[in-house]
Order: sequence, then structure tokens, then C-alpha cells
Amino acid sequence: MIETKTNVHLDEMSREEVANYLSETVRPEDGVIPAYIMGDENVNKLEHEKIFMKTWLLLGHESELPNKGDFITRDLAGYSVIVSRGQDGSLRAFYNMCTHRGMKLCRADKGNKGQFTCPYHGFTYKNSGELIGVPLQKDIYGGQLDMEKMSLHNVTLDTYKGLIFGTWNENPEPLLEFLGDFKWYLDIVVGRTEMEVIGPPQKFIVHSQWKIGSDNFVSDSYHTMVTHGSIAKLGMVPNAAYSKKGYQVHVKNGHGCNIGMPNPDFAFPEELIPEYKENLSSDQFELMSNVKNMIGTVFPNLSFLVSHTKVKGKLISNTTLRLWKPIAPDKMEVMTWFLVDKNASEDWKYRSRESYILTFSPSGIFEQDDTEVFTDITQAAAGTLPIVKNFNYNYTMGMHREPVKDFIGPGVVYPDKFTEAGSRNFYSYWLDMMKA
Amino acid sequence: MSIEKVLAKHEFEQWLYDEAKLIDEIDFDGWFNLMHTDLKYEMPVRVNKEGMERPDYSKEMFAFQDDIETMKMRVDRLKTDYAWAEMPPSRTRRFVSNVRVLEYVENEKAVVHSYLLIYRSRSTDIHHDLISGERQDEFTYVEGEWKLSKRFFIVDQTTLNTRNLAIFV
Repeated sequence: MIETKTNVHLDEMSREEVANYLSETVRPEDGVIPAYIMGDENVNKLEHEKIFMKTWLLLGHESELPNKGDFITRDLAGYSVIVSRGQDGSLRAFYNMCTHRGMKLCRADKGNKGQFTCPYHGFTYKNSGELIGVPLQKDIYGGQLDMEKMSLHNVTLDTYKGLIFGTWNENPEPLLEFLGDFKWYLDIVVGRTEMEVIGPPQKFIVHSQWKIGSDNFVSDSYHTMVTHGSIAKLGMVPNAAYSKKGYQVHVKNGHGCNIGMPNPDFAFPEELIPEYKENLSSDQFELMSNVKNMIGTVFPNLSFLVSHTKVKGKLISNTTLRLWKPIAPDKMEVMTWFLVDKNASEDWKYRSRESYILTFSPSGIFEQDDTEVFTDITQAAAGTLPIVKNFNYNYTMGMHREPVKDFIGPGVVYPDKFTEAGSRNFYSYWLDMMKA
Repeated sequence: MSIEKVLAKHEFEQWLYDEAKLIDEIDFDGWFNLMHTDLKYEMPVRVNKEGMERPDYSKEMFAFQDDIETMKMRVDRLKTDYAWAEMPPSRTRRFVSNVRVLEYVENEKAVVHSYLLIYRSRSTDIHHDLISGERQDEFTYVEGEWKLSKRFFIVDQTTLNTRNLAIFV
């Protein structure tokens, strides 16, 4: 054990010193994660600079803006951006700020517009970002205004299987490489067929550290037995220990997921099997045919879930995405999207949405118990106590196990969902980025 | 206002006050008994639209979209030993006002709109949540009692400032 240091003051350290202190105390390879990283303001500030300003972050799904001129406004690392589909059909994203005096250009969540006009002085931009109109320009600027240099600030954008990612990093690792082997699993969740987002994402504020959400989805199937014990009591799942069976996978860059299997029932609309087979490899389809749930996190804060439960006596699955967006060390905005297989029957789509709202929306009977736990963990991690007393969390579960060699999919795979290997991998990449 | 309308308004004000008391005092069975078997209980997601475009809520996505069966599941769940989100229960106070009776057919059906403000406080937390919105309710008269057959709750936030909706609106 590290000796207890009572004189640690992160707020008096330089960025480099904070990173060094993290290196000393965050030891995922030993299963040791200190509580202070869930509450400290300096860690939070460094995360913003080193992680959220550097990595790919989810902005939305292509089905949210299917037509030319469609746009959505979203936050990228806390800064408002406009994502728009230009007249040429391609997606672009811009900082939602007029380059003249900094006013927010667009205040709607979504819409369809070929151009955006600033409410302050009327500067007008095409949805491809160019400044095309300035009131009285010839007179008041003498025709000298260099409009070409005043385009909206561009956001680096890329997509994977309908997911739109953006980053403030102008020279990021290419998205496909960043996702790496995790694409194999993401394909099943969002690329098995054409998927569509139904309605707007739901947003709610939780007084919780954002990492608790990512961590919960990347490797914590263990909590299901207790936190979600009420679900088994209602008969929605067979028994409280149902969440143990299956596999846990992690790959480089901190991504990881849990695959609940086997499943005697096919969790998706059976009439779409030809489409699934067309879009997936035979190995991917085989895995998909056996899953009863898939829960995972794309580093840093995008989690996904495929959940197959019994509602009103009938089995149904729902597929959702969620972002854990940090607002403060002790506060996040949770944003959830419901996706459905576009060519499923109306009845299947209705029941799938119903099961999402009942289980994982803000009123969801799974969701609500999680947010209660997240809030209390966050409160306990705040302040100077965790750091001066050197309080650590135990992340050693499953360290005695060896990964399996013959799993059908890529990555480091354990034959049991109850292990914390995925979290150790998540924090190990987190630490790499904080030190970079 | 005719005396019939005054009495109807009074009747539904009392109904809504009684309902508030039942859920604020955690009598979920008592509250559930006020529901009609054809219940449609919905809370759409509120959105920010361009200018004055209305309605400014989604017709496709909901925070609640329950019928009597799923509502029964929610109530039953709250009675298990594992419903952590509300264990111990939030202290809530539902303030109902601006009650307007839009349609009234004696001993048959009624459409009643009202404003709702929920104060929510949990555990030792010094923060409180406020949830504000409009209820658009429909009632059906069954065996001498008004039952809630439809509730459409239009919440006044596009990002909900409460940790979950483990409480009813």
C-alpha cells in the first residue's frame, strides 16, 4: 500500500504534478482506484483538457438529420455545436457562435435550414459554414470585410455505422482506429441493420461524477443482482443472478462491453434475419443470435445497451445509447437515445419503445435505481477527505482469471460477466490520456 | 360561470388535492385505485423549437408512457425491498393550481387541465428539485367515482433537473 499522505494539495500543483500524482495513486493493474478522482475539481479540469478536448465524442445519429438542410444542436465537451447536413448531402459541424461578436447562432434543438442568421447583427452563414451576408456591408466596411476568413469554426467530424462523432482535436487518431476492434461489437448494436433514432434524446441532470456511469456500463454487471433486484421480483428477468452468465470483453483505448448469453430466444425481430446476415459477418450474427443483453462503453462517455426483458408477459428488446456528459465534478447531464431497427414492424417498434421508457428512460425502473447509487458515491468522493485519508476503491474482481482464447469475437475476453477487468482497462487508458 | 360549472370545478379541485395527498404520503395503492383501467399516462419530451413553432414537445418520445399494466408494475416495484430510488422515499409536495374544467358531462366524463408544481427533497441532501408543468387530464365516471383515464403531463424543462422520475407526475 502507498503510505497515507495527509499533505496533498492538488489545487497547488501544476498540471504535470497532478498527472504525476495520478500516476502514483491510480493503479488499475493492482485493482486500486482512488476515490478522489471521482470528486476532485483539479482532476475534473485536467480531464476536460486532456480527454474531452482530445478524443472523439458522440454528437448524435445520422437518422436524426436525414434530409438536406436538416440540423441538430448538441454539446461537444460542453460547447454548443451545430451539426448540419449540407445541400451536398454531407455532414458538417460548427461551433455555435457567430464569428463577428460571439453570439449563439442557433437556439433550436433541431430543424431544417439552408442558412443561419445571427440574432445580434444579422450576419448570415450558409449551413456549410461560410459567411454569406453582412447587413450594409459595402457601406459600413467599405466592401473591405474579408468574409472568407469569417467562416464558422469547424468541428472535426466522422461517422461509424450511423453514429456521428466529433472532436475539437484537429489531428485526432482516425475514428476507425480509435474504435479499433470494438467495431466488431458496435456493429451488432448499431450496424446490424439500418437503425433509426425515435424522437429526441431524453436529457436529465444527475448529481453524479460522469465516470461512474461509464464504469458501470463497461464492467459492472455485478450490481444488477442487488441494485436491480426489484426487476427479478417483478418477473421481468428469470432471477437475480441472471446477469452473471456470459462474457466480458475489452479492447485498446478503454472500450469494453458485457455480453449476456446464452439466450434461448432471439432478441430481435426475426423477419429481419436476412438483413442482419447481410450486414454482419457470420460470427457476428452467431453472437447476436445468442445475446440476451449487451452493455458497454466507448471511451470516454458513450455507453450502449441492448436489453431483452419480459414486458406484459412478452419478450422484447430495446437498444439505447447514452452519454454521461460532465458539467462539474459532481454533476452530469445524462442524454439517452432510443434506436430501433428501421424495418421492424410497427408493433415491434411500439413495444420496444415501451420497454425502453419503462426500463431505461429517466422514469425507467432500472435506470432510477442506478442514479440513486451514482449520486451517493459522488457525495462520498467529494472534498479533501478521500485524498488525505487515501481512500481507495477495490477493483480486483476477476484478477485471478485468465482470458479465453477461443471466443468468437476480438479483444481480451473473460468467460464471466462478473469481473472488473473492463474497468481496469478503462482507467488504464484514462490514466494514459491524463499523463499525455 | 354557471353553478354547475362552479361545482364541477370544485369537485375536480378536491379530486386533485386528494390525489396529491395520497402520493405525497406514499399511499401508492390508494393512488393506483384512482386510475381507470383504460389509463393512458404520458409525459412527452419537451423540446426547443425555432421561434413560436408549436407544439414544443415530441409526439414520438416520452418520459412516461404507461397503461394500467405498466403502471401496476411501477407501483408493485415500489413495494419490493429493492426499489432503492425511492427507499427511503423522497419528501414530495404536489401543489395543484389553475384548475380549469374544459368539458364536463355529469356522471360520465370530464376534461380538466391544471398546473402542477412538485417539490422533491431526498435524504439529507440540501438540494431540492422542482418539477413544473401542466396536466391535461381526462376522467371517466365509474360506479359512482371519477377515475383518471388519461393524463398528459407537459413538463417545463427540456433537460429535467431531477435525478430520475421515480416519482409520479
